[in-house]
Amino acid sequence: MSQVSGSANNTKRQSTFFTRFKKNYIGWIFILLSVLGIGLFYFYPMVQAFLLSLKSGMGANLEYVGFDNYARLFGDPTFITSLTNTFIYLLVQVPVMIILALFFSVLLNDPKLKFRGFFRTAIFLPAVTSLVAYAVIFKYLFGNDGLVNELLLGMNLIDTPLNWLSDPFLAKITIIIAITWRWTGYNMIFYLSALQNVDKSMYEAARIDGASSIQQFFFITIPMLKPIILFTSIVSTIGTLQLFDEVMNITNGGPGNSTLSISMYIYNLSFEYTPDFGYAATVSYVIVILVVILSFIQFRVAGDRD
Amino acid sequence: MGNKLSKKFWLLIVALLTAMVLAACGGDSEEGSSDADGGGDGGTTDDGATKITAWAWDPNFNIAALNLANESYNGETEIELEIIENAQDDIVQKLNTGLSSGTMKGMPNIVLIEDQRAQSFLQSYPDAFYPIGDYFNTEDFAEYKIPPTSLDGKQYGLPFDTGATGFFYRTDYLEEAGYTHDDLVDITWAQFVDIAKDVKEKTGHPMLALDPNDLGILRVMMQTTGTWYTTEDGTINLVDNEPLKVALQHYKELMDNDLVKLVSDWSQYLAAFNSGDVASVPAGNWIAPSIEAEESQKGLWAVAPTPRLDMEGAANASNQGGSSWYVLNIDGKEAAAEFLGNTFGSNSDFYQSLLTDVGAIGTYKPASEGEAYQYENEYFGGQQVIYEISQWMEEIPQVDYGMNTYGIEDILSAEIQQYLSGKSLEDVLADAQAQAEAQFK
Repeated sequence: MSQVSGSANNTKRQSTFFTRFKKNYIGWIFILLSVLGIGLFYFYPMVQAFLLSLKSGMGANLEYVGFDNYARLFGDPTFITSLTNTFIYLLVQVPVMIILALFFSVLLNDPKLKFRGFFRTAIFLPAVTSLVAYAVIFKYLFGNDGLVNELLLGMNLIDTPLNWLSDPFLAKITIIIAITWRWTGYNMIFYLSALQNVDKSMYEAARIDGASSIQQFFFITIPMLKPIILFTSIVSTIGTLQLFDEVMNITNGGPGNSTLSISMYIYNLSFEYTPDFGYAATVSYVIVILVVILSFIQFRVAGDRD
Repeated sequence: MGNKLSKKFWLLIVALLTAMVLAACGGDSEEGSSDADGGGDGGTTDDGATKITAWAWDPNFNIAALNLANESYNGETEIELEIIENAQDDIVQKLNTGLSSGTMKGMPNIVLIEDQRAQSFLQSYPDAFYPIGDYFNTEDFAEYKIPPTSLDGKQYGLPFDTGATGFFYRTDYLEEAGYTHDDLVDITWAQFVDIAKDVKEKTGHPMLALDPNDLGILRVMMQTTGTWYTTEDGTINLVDNEPLKVALQHYKELMDNDLVKLVSDWSQYLAAFNSGDVASVPAGNWIAPSIEAEESQKGLWAVAPTPRLDMEGAANASNQGGSSWYVLNIDGKEAAAEFLGNTFGSNSDFYQSLLTDVGAIGTYKPASEGEAYQYENEYFGGQQVIYEISQWMEEIPQVDYGMNTYGIEDILSAEIQQYLSGKSLEDVLADAQAQAEAQFK
């Protein structure tokens, strides 16, 4: 569009505005609705939560304390425990789950495999169970006289039942097993669908060049799935940072806070202890900050430059 | 030029957005009535009765008690009571979110709150509760119930059930280990540990079942001396808390000598004694119905007073759990308070039927002379269980539970794990104290 000088400028400008608007106004209305919705239900509460995180006090007696809450985080051993626990879950569980999901998806992508549909459904099925329901079932499976102990005892692998839920180390393992069971199938589906888009001729060419199936996996499958692996690891990281239902229902944070997650600590601060909603909001902002930092790192490490 | 135009358009959108947001925050507090979510605002029904709502949990116990109270109410104000059942956790959440939002819409007139949580509500939401001290006589109630239910000299809660504890035990196992009932009456926790060792040695049964996440037994031990995790002015009292130290030593001794069956949830806890695995259950009297649920063990149980810590001024009585009724400061509060005062607050006959119909032992002292309290329970070998419990109830040492019981306990239970694996008791308490002070200043 060229510059027009003089008084024609304004009318011209207006008319372009109207023609553009007329041409696209339906589109603008669509955007407007979602912008308003997102603004109202995402950004407005976020701002309010941030303001809340600058306050402290019991229940309704909140007053502004500036950044005191953020300073308090560093001296709060329970918060540090919950943060450490969450990172242990993250560092152990996410890689294990991603690798398992990749493994299953490649296995189940084999066109010669019989009952493929059945196996795919079976592995995906945990992802549709209710979080609370499966957590409660895991609690019973791993109880002192639960199925897992009975099995291990029956196979003579252990002499006395393991205290899965009341030993600090084993309790963490239990939580990790539970989340892995729940989410592996979910991630597998992403890889399976991505695998459909990998050109078969590449494998053919590789086979002709004499590449073993392990080499094919590492040099074709993995690079082709890279964007999806990045996506699933970010989503899983965010999911793990928000871990709540499993911990709440399987161990209730115990024994002695050894399975406490950040989200559960937020719950405790709001509803279990004398409520301090300001401090609870501060802790939730920590999750926000962590999600941003971790996603950024993952993009940097794994993402393409362009 | 196209750039400039779209900029203008964006400005317009942002302006619209802001206007919408502002309108939304300004408007919604006035509009809309909350009748839909069951909150009675003390309205009047067609026949002139005042409508009040109550929130409580446990249909077989608290709700049943409310229904019974509704039947026996004979006050002047006509009242129509609507009872809404919620899980206790849900009530805590709803109260917290509702009261902190500053609106009383949808709140009930009467709510049941656990004693150990009460102070946290009373202090967090200063004007949310209505003082009901004028509607009943606090001296009629077990003394230990008063500090948790009052604040700054005002009585906010009407004491309801008692968590008076007893030492429930299997007579056959204890006999086999060489103990009679008299040997178990008014003992100390140190003796309890010795008895537990004998029982384990002679019968092979662990003495009791414990969930490592639940420090209830420590609280029971501590309260026999009238101490708590915090002092009356709210100071955190762990490091120089002699009763807590002794209690922890007993706890460790029980654990180290394998005298405890570890469980990880409530149903396992119940199964531990219903299956005949453990020899005793030192717990609040509300456990009795669960013990009696196992028909085959009829006549094999008895109850002795709670062991005490071996210290000056300790009593053979303690408390575990128990809750009280509160009235919220909204329309209909007078009617609600009158309702509570007329039933739970002064009606001795009501407490007799409460006991026979619901099995709830109240904390209203005059009621214990009533007939229902003298009942000889065949399950416990003809013992007057209720009467004995109500006598122990009057001896329970007073404790101010303060505001941070659950918070401190989370810190403490982490430290106790380390204590059990070898950390010294002094370090454990000193560390717990430092952490608690950092968290609850």
